[in-house]
This record gives sequence, structure tokens and C-alpha cells, in this order.
Amino acid sequence: MSCSPFDVKDYFFGELSPQDRRTVDLHLTACPKCQEELDALNLTQNALLMVRDEEPPSRIAFVSDKVFEPRWYQSLWNSGPKMAFASSALLAAAILVHGFELNRPVAQVMKAPQPAITEAEVATRVEAAVQKAVAESEARQAAKLQQVAQQQKKMEVDYKMQMLQVADAYRMLRRMIPPSYRAAANFVPGEGQ
Amino acid sequence: MIFREVEDRDLIAKARRGDVESYNLLISRWDRRIFNYLLRLVKDREDARDLAQDVFLKAYQNLNKLEDPSKFSPWLYRIAHNEAYSLLRRNRPETEMGEERVQSIPGRRMLPMEVGLAVSTALARLTEDQREAVVLKIYEGFKFEEMAEILETPVSTVKSRLYTALDLLKESLAPIQLRGVE
Repeated sequence: MSCSPFDVKDYFFGELSPQDRRTVDLHLTACPKCQEELDALNLTQNALLMVRDEEPPSRIAFVSDKVFEPRWYQSLWNSGPKMAFASSALLAAAILVHGFELNRPVAQVMKAPQPAITEAEVATRVEAAVQKAVAESEARQAAKLQQVAQQQKKMEVDYKMQMLQVADAYRMLRRMIPPSYRAAANFVPGEGQ
Repeated sequence: MIFREVEDRDLIAKARRGDVESYNLLISRWDRRIFNYLLRLVKDREDARDLAQDVFLKAYQNLNKLEDPSKFSPWLYRIAHNEAYSLLRRNRPETEMGEERVQSIPGRRMLPMEVGLAVSTALARLTEDQREAVVLKIYEGFKFEEMAEILETPVSTVKSRLYTALDLLKESLAPIQLRGVE
């Protein structure tokens, strides 16, 4: 049994804090018994470490090696024809199930007799459908024409407004320009000579 | 060590994305250590090789379950531990420890081969748990916390197993220590 304040084995394996380690260091200088225990631990470890690691008898198989390859059933499942195989199996199962279903007695459902449709009724229905389509088409056309007329009217109003603005601007400019410049601007060579 | 750890983490990330070559590189870094760890537990080269193969296959299949890639090493050893103990449980009657003792021949220093045999004999006299504690600490250099993680036992239990084993080994290996090695 160690008389050290901390376990000498903990000290040996470096599991003590630096402070605790210093305490044991100090203790070892004054305690031959603990020093002897520490020496014995060293010798035991050295003896154990004399047995070196061995090389594996053969290379450990890697993922890409055969041992890591998927099993036969995984390969089959992952292979190209797997879908064909699965489809065939499903189809066979469906045929079997259908075969069993066919043997079952099927309840007969009595259908109510449908009234016969005459040619006159067919012609009336076609006429009605045509008239309806024509009416719808005309309505669409009228709506478009109205829309175009509105757009044209708006453009005319805009144009008139712009022309009025231009005329105003011209009059304002003429008022701002002095008369002598206006006379020069109106001067035409050869006139009034 | 830190640089190596970062590299391992990088390889794990790549392997997780399906890069087989990265996993191959990872294996090449650890196969020798895992093989020797298993060899010291099961004491048979062929068994150790087969187990190592299984360990790396299981590790590959479960790589996505590794939460913290920086703990790859204890995680890998945990898988190896489970594989080894599965085998040991199956073969238990055959792997009962012998009663051989390290023989001392007075007046001659021991050859390295004899030391190897003596150490193997001394290790074989330990219980499986004690032997594994010695292997993880002395040969693999794990901290007590990591050992506790690998063995899924408290640190106090790990220390107890190791320290008892060392006391037994100290006694068994005393002849070597007294006579030295040639």
C-alpha cells in the first residue's frame, strides 16, 4: 500500500494535475518505498513493451475488396434486370389474383333502359350548341372592338392636350425673346432692299 | 497528433459521402493497431485478422452513426472490443487461462523471444478484463476517460482492473526484471 498523498500509479500514468504531481515528486524524494513502487511499475511496463506489435498476416480487406462487395441477393436487387424481375413477379401475382377473382360469382347489376334519341333532337341540340358558340364569339368580338375604340379616343385626347401644351410653350417663348431678336429671326435676305 | 486527428476527421467526412478511397486510407492507418489489440485479446493471429476485417466492415457500415468524428479512435476500439468479446464468449472453454508460470533459469540473461513468451504467459494469466485494460493503457496509450468510453464502464472500474493487473504482472514478470534481457 502506497503512503504517497496520491496514488503512485496515477502519477506513473500521468493522470494527476500538475500541482498534485509536484506533491508526489516531493514525496518520492523522501520515501524509498514509493520510489521502489514507481521503479517496479517502470520495469513492468518496459517488459510489456519489449513485445513489439506484429504485422497482420495479410492485408485487411478494403471497402473496394471482394469482402466488402454486396451479397448475391443485394447484387441481384441492384442489377439492371431487377426491375424486369420485380415487374414479372408483380405481373404473375396480378394474373393469379385476377384468376381467383374470375372464379367468384359476380352479382349482376340491372341497368335502367336508356331512352332512344331521335335525329330531330340531335339536330336541335347541335343547332343550339352552334348558336351558343356564335353568340359567345360575337360577344367577345364586340368587347374587343369597344376596347379598341376607347383606346383610340384616349390617344386623340392625349394628342390634343400635347398640342395645346406645345402652343402655350411657343407663345411664352415669343414673349420672352426681345423684339430686335424677333426681327432678326424674321429677317430674310433680299427682302425689303 | 492534432494534425493527424484533423486529417482523420477529413477522411471520415469524405468516406461518409461515399469516397471509398478515403476509407481505405483510414483503414491503412488503423489496421495494424486494431489487429494487435485484437491479437492480444484473442491470442490467435487468424482470429485477430478475421475480427479486424469484421471491425472495419462494421465501422464502414455504421460510419454515419459516429456522432463526433474526433472520437473515431475510441469508437473503433469499442467495435473491436465487442467483436473480440463475442468470439471470446463463444470460445470461452478453450481460452481459459493456463497455469503456466514464467520459468526462471538462474545464471543466464533472457533472449528477447523468451521475454516475449514470458510476457504472453503473464498476460494470459490475467482475466480478459484485466488484460484488455493493460492492452488499452500500455500498448494503445489511451487515457482513462477514453478507456471508460471503450469499455462502457466507470473510470474507477477501469483503474481498478488495470492496477490489479499491474500488481499481478509485476509479480509474474519479476524473473525478467531480476535477470535482464540479452
